[in-house]
Amino acid sequence: MLAGSLLRIDGLTKRYPGVIALDDLSVDLPRGLVGLVGANGAGKTTMFRLLLGISKPTEGRIEVCGIDVAVDPIGVRSRLGYMPEHDCLPLDQTAADVVSTFGELSGLPARAARQRASDILDLVGLDEARFRPIGGFSTGMRQRAKLAQALVGDPELVLLDEPTAGLDPLGREEMLALVGRLGTFGISVIMATHLLDDVQQVCEHVVMIDAGRLVVSGGTDSLLERTGIVTVDVGVRGAELVAGLAKVGLSATTDDGLVEVTVEGNHQMDALRDVIAELGLPLYRLSTRLTSLDEVFLRLAGSEP
Amino acid sequence: MSVGGAGAVYDRGYRPYDGPRGLRGAATYALYKASIRRALGIRRSWRQKFAPFLLLGIVTVPAIVNVGIGYVTRDRVVDAVEIITYREYVGVSSALLLFVALVAPDVMCPDRRQRVLPLMFARPLTGIDYVVSKVGAIASILFAFSFLPQVVLFVGNMLVSDSAAHYFSGHMDVLWKVPVSVGLLAIYYAVIGVAIASLTDRRIVAGAAVIGLFLITSISSSIIVGDIVNGQGSIGGLINVLGLPLFLRDLVFLGHVNPDSPLAGVDHGGPFAIATYVAILLLGAGVLLRRYRWVER
Repeated sequence: MLAGSLLRIDGLTKRYPGVIALDDLSVDLPRGLVGLVGANGAGKTTMFRLLLGISKPTEGRIEVCGIDVAVDPIGVRSRLGYMPEHDCLPLDQTAADVVSTFGELSGLPARAARQRASDILDLVGLDEARFRPIGGFSTGMRQRAKLAQALVGDPELVLLDEPTAGLDPLGREEMLALVGRLGTFGISVIMATHLLDDVQQVCEHVVMIDAGRLVVSGGTDSLLERTGIVTVDVGVRGAELVAGLAKVGLSATTDDGLVEVTVEGNHQMDALRDVIAELGLPLYRLSTRLTSLDEVFLRLAGSEP
Repeated sequence: MSVGGAGAVYDRGYRPYDGPRGLRGAATYALYKASIRRALGIRRSWRQKFAPFLLLGIVTVPAIVNVGIGYVTRDRVVDAVEIITYREYVGVSSALLLFVALVAPDVMCPDRRQRVLPLMFARPLTGIDYVVSKVGAIASILFAFSFLPQVVLFVGNMLVSDSAAHYFSGHMDVLWKVPVSVGLLAIYYAVIGVAIASLTDRRIVAGAAVIGLFLITSISSSIIVGDIVNGQGSIGGLINVLGLPLFLRDLVFLGHVNPDSPLAGVDHGGPFAIATYVAILLLGAGVLLRRYRWVER
């Protein structure tokens, strides 16, 4: 994770006529890879518009990379890259032209923009296709071109809005791998998505919002708490283990060949170990089961008033 | 980097950029250049290049013909043949209306239709910068396409005259009157064309609207003014959006309204023409700034 504060939001509210898109949201995010999670219409895209300074908050204050968005929106935008969810590239121009033009629009001299466009298209895997019109690109290639235009200006922070939308499983894995690499280049990422698996795979920090309100913000690992369930693989002798555990007062079930045991405290863990040893069962795997972000989101969003 | 057998795959990774970086000015200039390239069909197929340069050829023909006749008749004892004056040539440039109808929608509409605008305004660029870039690009091309034929005419006439130095010194006023006149015309057509194109995301609709506006207003004006009898025109001549900049051209070249124009004999016709010109420019600029007032209030 990169050092320093990436984003400070204090009491952010955005109201449209008849709709509250964001409601008194306060959060402080570290640099690195951040997932912004919420259902469709939760306020993710609105937040991106506010971060870019192309929409003004009704109330509250936003500081991006140490700059107050209300005071210097141009300064903020010169440090950001943005990849929208929807198609947004000129279809009749080549990828090289589009990306180098957006490099110049980010403030780079023409020559540097062309050079960087070439490098970035290579990085996202479009080196061979850079002189082809974007209109002939597949969905995956267009997503990569969108990512390239967001990176060409060498931003400190990239805002990615649903970067894996519309991609097949392989394309999704490749896009997530690319996003994961950005952190190693010193580029922070805020990835808005409703796909919690994507966030769990690449993000170090998670912000969950629901109906414009903050649900939770924290490190991905800290949110993936232990469930108190231990999964045991003893091959085909699962039923034998369940029966043995019942004798010592431990409840267990079998699920897809694995035994799931509810364990509370070290003494019950010791009891589990002893039962396996006494029965002479082969122990192939023993692990504590973690929650998924889906479970965390459903539990926390469901408890919101 | 992985190396194996006959070839090698290099992962060049990511190189941060630590060179100079501009802000609004650089972004505006970049968009201006990109718009000029698009308008002229540069880095696009030959079909996109054909129309602009065909129009440049067409508006240059009178200059070439004029110079050609001057060259052919240079040794004859007759008065210098002048089939078109510099003032009249500014009127020829109004044919570039076709260029505006073709190119302004092409420069404006795809940004909205293909939803490129959010990407642009995620850069250090404001709505005003966007409008300045687009209008500036179209106006620059119109100026160049109007001015270049005049340069051909001036240089050609100078070379085929008996004394180039004498011709030059005798036509010094043209050196400022032509650029000012074509500048007024270029800005005017560019603002109107871009403003109309900003109202729709369909190129064909925008192009038809540009031509329709100019045709309808010029026909309406002709009907209202009617025949100019005894040098008496009508204030209705100002309705002609197509011909309005030509009144200003006359003011620049002649210092007064042309007695043969639809404004002839109208009291304060010149000031009225200037006021209408400015009002239309302000209206166009207002439409554009409202359309691209990207940051909400």
